Parts: sequence; structure tokens; C-alpha cells
Amino acid sequence: MATQYEIPVGAQHISLLEPLHFKFITENEKIVDTTANVFYVHRGIEKACCSKFKFRQVSFVVGRVCGLCSISHTTAYSQVAEKLIKIEIPLRAKHLRMLVIELDRIHSHLLCLSHVAENSGFEALFMKTMQYREAFMELLEAICGNRIQYDFSIVGGVARDLKPEVGQMIMERLKKFKPQLDELVDIYQNNWSLSLKNKGAGAITKKDAMRLNVVGPFARAAGLAIDVRNETEDLLPWKEVGFEIVTGTAGDVYARNMVRLGEINVSMRIIENIIKGLPESALITETKAFPDGEAVVRIEAPRGELFYYAKGNKTQILERLKIKAPTFSNISAMVEGFKGNEYGSVPAIIASYDPCLSCTAR
Amino acid sequence: MKTFFKALGNLFKKPVTIKYPFEKTYIPDDYRGVIEFDENLCIWCRRCEMACPPGAIVFSQDMEGKQTYHYNKAVCIFCKECVRNCPKEGAIFQTGIPARFALKEDNINNGWNILYDEALKSRDAYAAEKKRLAAKKAAAAKTVVEK
Repeated sequence: MATQYEIPVGAQHISLLEPLHFKFITENEKIVDTTANVFYVHRGIEKACCSKFKFRQVSFVVGRVCGLCSISHTTAYSQVAEKLIKIEIPLRAKHLRMLVIELDRIHSHLLCLSHVAENSGFEALFMKTMQYREAFMELLEAICGNRIQYDFSIVGGVARDLKPEVGQMIMERLKKFKPQLDELVDIYQNNWSLSLKNKGAGAITKKDAMRLNVVGPFARAAGLAIDVRNETEDLLPWKEVGFEIVTGTAGDVYARNMVRLGEINVSMRIIENIIKGLPESALITETKAFPDGEAVVRIEAPRGELFYYAKGNKTQILERLKIKAPTFSNISAMVEGFKGNEYGSVPAIIASYDPCLSCTAR
Repeated sequence: MKTFFKALGNLFKKPVTIKYPFEKTYIPDDYRGVIEFDENLCIWCRRCEMACPPGAIVFSQDMEGKQTYHYNKAVCIFCKECVRNCPKEGAIFQTGIPARFALKEDNINNGWNILYDEALKSRDAYAAEKKRLAAKKAAAAKTVVEK
């Protein structure tokens, strides 16, 4: 047996975006075992939501759980609160929610892709991807009035309407982005130096993915066709606007890149369909009811299935709010994916998991 | 190799970044900016204060019953919830002006917390005073009736 070395990575490390601690046990550069600690940024948001804030204010609080999937959190909370106060939201609000979720998915996936490129040592591609991402940040700013904390979904509907000129701006930007996306697909698919770090790295089999309960692009890259947008139809009409599932087979970093690029393509189609067929109706359903009973909601955030549970007791303040973020489901598989890889490919693998720890630790 | 030549070609292209302090960045015309308040239109129902998620609005009250509006730009999250909850249109509204960052001299956290508590206390004091006056008036009326 060769000598084993323990290499700690994190909680602050140059290749990490967020506080996350890995301890790798290596044998001659090969990783044989890993342990992970992800709960560095606990902020007590769930407790705050059940004690300090009224249930209508909570949708703004949970928007601050995560910067990248802010809209997924607000929408999931709004839906769970709407279930508790038993109202149906207008059709236009549903479509606008889907529009912002998809734009958010594009910018989140581009961020993840750019970090994979950067951590694989391809800085020029990182800058290129970030440059294309900027267009979507501006679109989100034009729709929601803010770049990151959208506060777009509120209990009962959406906060702002989509102006016709903003809709036109989105269509123009998407038209401009299409050749840029083709260029990105070409580079991520065919670039030789990127393939050295990406192909075969961090691979996880379909069987393992199913056993370890993986969600999101991570699972879809391994060939597991799970997507909440494919499974639920009651709250947001995903299939109506042209949703299609994208899956890979290999389950490595390369497959994850391809799944993310494919999903950007699907998201663009969904956005176009939504803007072309945006129904006319009110934006908010007004009600003075108080939350009562229990409800759960699942929604597909950029990183996978986001789960919300809420319990009300006929007062302004909720009795319990539980958030299960997608990264939480993926931790066990994240640890599994490192086994048998070279230590040098670790940064790229971590980036390709797209871990969101402020979501996980809340 | 293709990527390499493309990267070389980028040397001769215009930069995509914006030289921020000298050039203007993109700000949409309905940007979520600072909240403004119109004292003449307000009906003093305090619904904006009740709705505000971070507690950036508070009303203080003096002994004559006159209310004063306090607003903290640094605490505000510009969610427009106060405007949506306002029953009187135009009394409180959102401008497109981005908020200036707060400096240490502004004493934003500590100063605001003290102001917030004092405002709540001033309202309690006014309510207690009103109650006392009402009780006094009722007692006086009672004595008048007895006589």
C-alpha cells in the first residue's frame, strides 16, 4: 500500500466560490476517500421566517437565501403560501414567473460553465462566458428592476408587469445570443485542452446517481431523467411552453457541461414561447386570508429540485418553514464523484457540481 | 488551435467592459430606487410600516398627535411592498434613483435602531397620554352627571 496523504481544501480556497470544506485522502495523486463539510454559512433564515416576519414578508426573506436562484426560492415560497391561503394566481403571473425562472437558469448555468472553464485552467473561455452572461443580467434588471435580488414573485402573483419594449429587448438579445451559444457549445465540445480536464473526470454512474438521490443537471448528466418541470403541471404549465428534458450519459464533467448548454437552449425556446403567447390578465389575486394547514411545493431551481414545506396556524406568522436546497441532496454524490480521480482535476469537478452552499446551510 | 487564433483576434477588438465612473452603466428607467414620501397626501394609516419587510419605515408621534415619517435608505430593500400596500395613491412612491451607499458617519445601524425604538416609544407615550386624557374626561363627565 502506498503512503496516504490528507489534503484539506477549504473552507477558503482559491478554486471555491463559497465556503466548503473537503478533506481528500490521496494515494500518489489518486483520491481514495473524501469527506465534506458544507455547513459554514448558517444564517438561521428558517427560524427568522417563523418568528420575526409576517407570511407576506417571508417571500422577500427567502429571496435572500441564495443569490443565484433567488427567483426559484421566492416562487417556491409564494406557491406554498398560496396553497396555504388557498388561492389560484392569474395566468399571466404564472407565465411571468416561468419567464424569470428560465432567464435565471440561463445566467446561473453560464456562471457555472464559466467557472468550470476557469478551474480547468482556461481563463479566456471564462471571460467569454461571463461576457455573454452579462446580457442576461441586464435583461433581468430590465424585468425585475434589480440585478440579483429580484423580489419578483410575491404571495398572490408577481410584483411587476412585463413592458412590451422589454419583451422586444429580450427577443433581440436572444437572437443575438443564439450564434454565441453555438460558439460556446463548439468550444466546450471540441476544445482539446479543456477535454483533458473534463472528459472522464468526476464521473458518476446512473446506478450510483439513483442510489445517492442526485438531482438537477448532475443527475441528468448521468442519464437519470429527473426534472420537476417534467413531473408537475399543477402550479406552472411547463409543457405548454415547450419544455423538453435534456440528459447525458457519461456523468462526467464534460457531460454536465453539455447538459447545461442543452438546457440553456431549451430555456431560450421556453422564453420565446412565453413572450409570443403571453396571456392578458391581472397580476395579483388579492385576498385577506391567513395561512392554515400544511403544504409542500417542489420546483426546479437551476441546480435541481427545490423543496418547500410550510405550516400555518391562522396567524400572520408561519408555524414552520422548511427549505431543502438541491445541493443538500447532492452532497453524498459529490463525495462519491471524486473517488479514483487525480487530485489535479478536483477544482474542475467541484465547479461542475455547481454547489450552492448558502442555499444548503441557509 | 482555432480558439487560439480567435483569442489573438480579440486583441484588436473593442473592450466589452465599461469604464464605470467615466461612462454610464445600464440602468432601466423603472429601476428599483429610493422610496419617496409625500406628506401632504398621506392619510397616516401606517400600512407601509406594517408591510415593510426589513423595517425601513417608521412613524414617530409627538404629544400633539402629529406623526413624522422616517425612512432608512440603507435598510430598505426597494421591494415596493410599501407602495403596493398604500391605500392612497401617490403618498408613497418609488423613484428610479439608485440609493447612495451609507458611510460610517451616517451611523446607519446603531442610529437607526435607536431611532426606531424611540419612534415606537413616542407612539406608545402618545397612546398612553390619550388614554389618560380620555379617562380624565370620562371621570369629569361622570362627576357632572352625578351633580
